[in-house]
Parts: sequence; structure tokens; C-alpha cells
Amino acid sequence: MIEDDLRAAFVRHEPMTPSTGPLRAAIDRVAATRRRRRQRFQAAGVTLAVLAALGVGVPQLRPNRPVDGPALSGQPADVPSEALNVLLLGVDGFGEQPSYRLADSVLLVHIPADRSRPYLISLPRDLGVSIPGREVEKLNSAFFTGAGEPRPDLDAGYDLTRRVVADLTGVRVDAGAVLTFAGLRRITDAVDGVEVCLPKEVRSWHTRRTFPAGCQRLDGAASVDLLRQRRYLPDGAFDRDRNAQRYVTGLIRAVSAKDVLSNPVRLAALLSAPGKGLAVDDDGLPLTKLVAVLPELDSVDPVGLSLPVGEPVDDRTLLPLDPKLGRAFLDALREDRLAQWVEQHPERVNRVR
Amino acid sequence: MTYEEFADTRLAPLLRYAVMLTGDPHQAQDLVQETMVRVQLNWRRVACADSPERYVRRMLTNQYVDWRRGSWVRRVLLRGEPDASVPALTDHAQSAVDRDQIWSWLSRLPRRQRAALVLRYYEDLPDVEIADVLGCAVGTVRSSISRALATLRAEYVEA
Repeated sequence: MIEDDLRAAFVRHEPMTPSTGPLRAAIDRVAATRRRRRQRFQAAGVTLAVLAALGVGVPQLRPNRPVDGPALSGQPADVPSEALNVLLLGVDGFGEQPSYRLADSVLLVHIPADRSRPYLISLPRDLGVSIPGREVEKLNSAFFTGAGEPRPDLDAGYDLTRRVVADLTGVRVDAGAVLTFAGLRRITDAVDGVEVCLPKEVRSWHTRRTFPAGCQRLDGAASVDLLRQRRYLPDGAFDRDRNAQRYVTGLIRAVSAKDVLSNPVRLAALLSAPGKGLAVDDDGLPLTKLVAVLPELDSVDPVGLSLPVGEPVDDRTLLPLDPKLGRAFLDALREDRLAQWVEQHPERVNRVR
Repeated sequence: MTYEEFADTRLAPLLRYAVMLTGDPHQAQDLVQETMVRVQLNWRRVACADSPERYVRRMLTNQYVDWRRGSWVRRVLLRGEPDASVPALTDHAQSAVDRDQIWSWLSRLPRRQRAALVLRYYEDLPDVEIADVLGCAVGTVRSSISRALATLRAEYVEA
């Protein structure tokens, strides 16, 4: 009956199948192109993540730069004068459950139009956000939803998270990067370790290592260990976000202190460091342009902030935006008035050094 | 097994399978190309699977069913409707044209249902394996096949 008709129809259409020769050549061609592009992406990504995105200490490398003073700090005409936002995602799950990755560290680097100093804004991973194609979910799951299965795709995970963050904050995301544990470890080792200053002792849930209070130089493995810690921290994921900001602050110093930017050999070594542990988006703002903006920064010491959130409602663990401060903060971010906001809310600034 | 060996033996059957899924040689080529590019770039992972063949068939099927996530459909949409200038190679008897109605009805089925039909009546897979390819329960496979057959039967009655 109909089953037989179906079988017959399938068999009858077999001759429609094209020959495989040209297809096989096309597959090889596309795969080669994509492989090359991936490598380029990775190289550009480190630069983004390490120098550009974090507002590296380029001023120190340019001794001729005029010292502050309104008369001298006129802006060169070729530098775009609007604010820039760079999205950094730290994802977990490397080597453990490769198909299940969450972006547990979501850091928005905001460089204001006046190029005064970078702002590191942590977005809590438990924040309730509407994810396209799903209902309201935690922010960290956007990456997983985008990355998909069975083969998780860092680029796709980034794309969806970027959309969610752009919707949430209302700002344009100009560039960004995704860092896995392995990528983080290699970047850290490539700069011979990063000095991190902790206000309180941190004990590792994973390795039993203890990070004492105060400043200490961490190698790659120790940095990954520190940035994974949440359970023993009094403020849980919020404290982890603050530690991520402390790490980034130290990374900026490490790179600028070592003259990485001015030394082509060191720069090349750093560029190849993270390998596959990093994917990058430089579509919106090409890397070269971003780097050109950096010398305009007056200070490389970042201001650490966290998006103000309220208490979870119902029995769910989703965090809402803080009813009073949340909107005002996002308005300030969107309108590039964070300096003013920080002045009004000094208690909201995280100690990063 | 290397990628080359895999492609030597499996590319042709995959392409035939894709033709049955899409009903269009161009779309089938796009679908197989996109899948096989990813297979080649991630060959180590594919080769680790219990059965690389099954793994790749699952990739290709997901790519086909989940058209929103895949990029290949975007290219296909640019080309518009399936190419009318490439008719199915059939004999020219009127009865064959009638019989080919079932082929055109297939294109109106939801993708997942069509995939289930192809896996059972073209690839002759047992329901357990169909469930594995589609990533759902065996019961779901049976119900979507019976729903698809019901749709086709209704078309028969109308025609």
C-alpha cells in the first residue's frame, strides 16, 4: 500500500543523486578556508582579549604622549569618539562535559567616549534574561543554548550571548572574545603569570589550594583554579566575578609591564598562546581600529562594577535586575555616564587592587 | 579510519540519503557539504564515536531538521524554490507522473516526520536506530511515522 509506494518513490528518485566528485572537492575547499579563518580568528583573539579588550597600558608605552591637561589632550581626528563595549565570556566545561558549556563569567568592558579609564562590568550568571527562542532563563545558559549540540560551537554560543547582552543593556557590543579554561591558562603562562590581589583568603574547592589574602603571582593553572572558585566564597558567584575583575586588572598590568606591545617577538608568542581555547568576534570593530583607540586612555586602572541585582523572586533562583538601581545603572551605561554614577554610588565599586 | 577513507565509502550513500530528505539535488549537495565540512574539521571527534557512520548521519539529520540553527538553509533560500529545471529521472508514462505525486506530498510534511519516513522506508533502519538518529524516544518515532502516513493517506483520498 502506501508504504510500498513510498519505498518505490524513494528508489525511483535515487538516480537524481548528483555525482560525488565535485562535491568532495568543494568540501575540501570550504574546510580549508574555514580552517585558515579559524586560525586567524584565534590569533586576533588573543590580541583582543589580552591587550585591546582590557584597555592595556598603552600609554606607558608611548612616553611622548602629552601629560594630562585640557589644553594638551585634544583628540586626534582619526579616532572614533564614541564609547566602546567589549564582551568577554569565560566558559567552563573544558575537557569534562564537552557538550555542556556555560558562560559563568560574563564581563562587559566599557571604554567611555572621553577615554578616561576602562570599566569592568560583571553581569551575574544567574541573572534572569529572555533568551531568543526560549523563555526567561539564566544568563549563563544563553551560551549553551547558542553553542548547541552535539558539537558545541564557541562562536555560536558567543553570538547568542552577545544578542542577549545587547538586548539587556541596550548598548552596542563592538567586539568580544570567549575564553575556555585552557585558553586562560595559556594566556597567563604566556605573560609569565599574573599578579592578583585578594582582599580575603580563598580556598579551592577543586584542588584544596589556599590563596592567601594580599597580592600574589599566579601561573596559568592557579589562575584557572582561582577563577573557578565559588562554593567557599561568602558571596558565591558575585565574589567569583570580583576575582575575575582582579585577575583582569593584574593581566593588564602584566602585559604593560613587560613591554609586550612594543616587542614583536613577545607579541607573536602571546598571539599564538591560547590556541583553540579562544574564539573571537571582531566583526563589528576590527582589531586594528580598537588598538588605535587604546593610546587615548588616560588611565589603565579599571573600575570594577557589577550590574546591581535584587533578590530572587518565587522559589526560582533567577535574579532580577535591582528594582531601584538596575535601570539607573543601565541608563548610565547606555548614556556613557558611568563616571558620574560611580561618584554617586561609591559603595558599588569593587576593590580590584 | 581516516577522513579520506570515510569519504571514499560513505559520501555517496550520504548524498543519496540527503536527496531523499530534501527531495532536491542542490539542497542535498548543500546539506552534505555543510555536514562534511564540519566532519572534516572535527574528524578526531567523529572518529572516536562508536560508529562514525551513524554519528555523521545524525549530524546530517539534525542539520536538516533544525533548519533555524543551520546555515545551509540561508543559502538555499537565496536560490528560492527547488529547481524546476531538474526533474526527477523517471519514465514518461502517465502512471509514473501519478505515482510521483507521493514525492511532492512528501515535501509538505514536517521535516522530522519526513526524516523518520526516509529512515524507515529508504534506509530500512529499525525504530530503535531511527530514534537514535533523531534523538527521541522510540514511541515518538512510531507516532510521527503514523502521523506522516495518515497525512499522506488523506492526500490519496483527495487526489
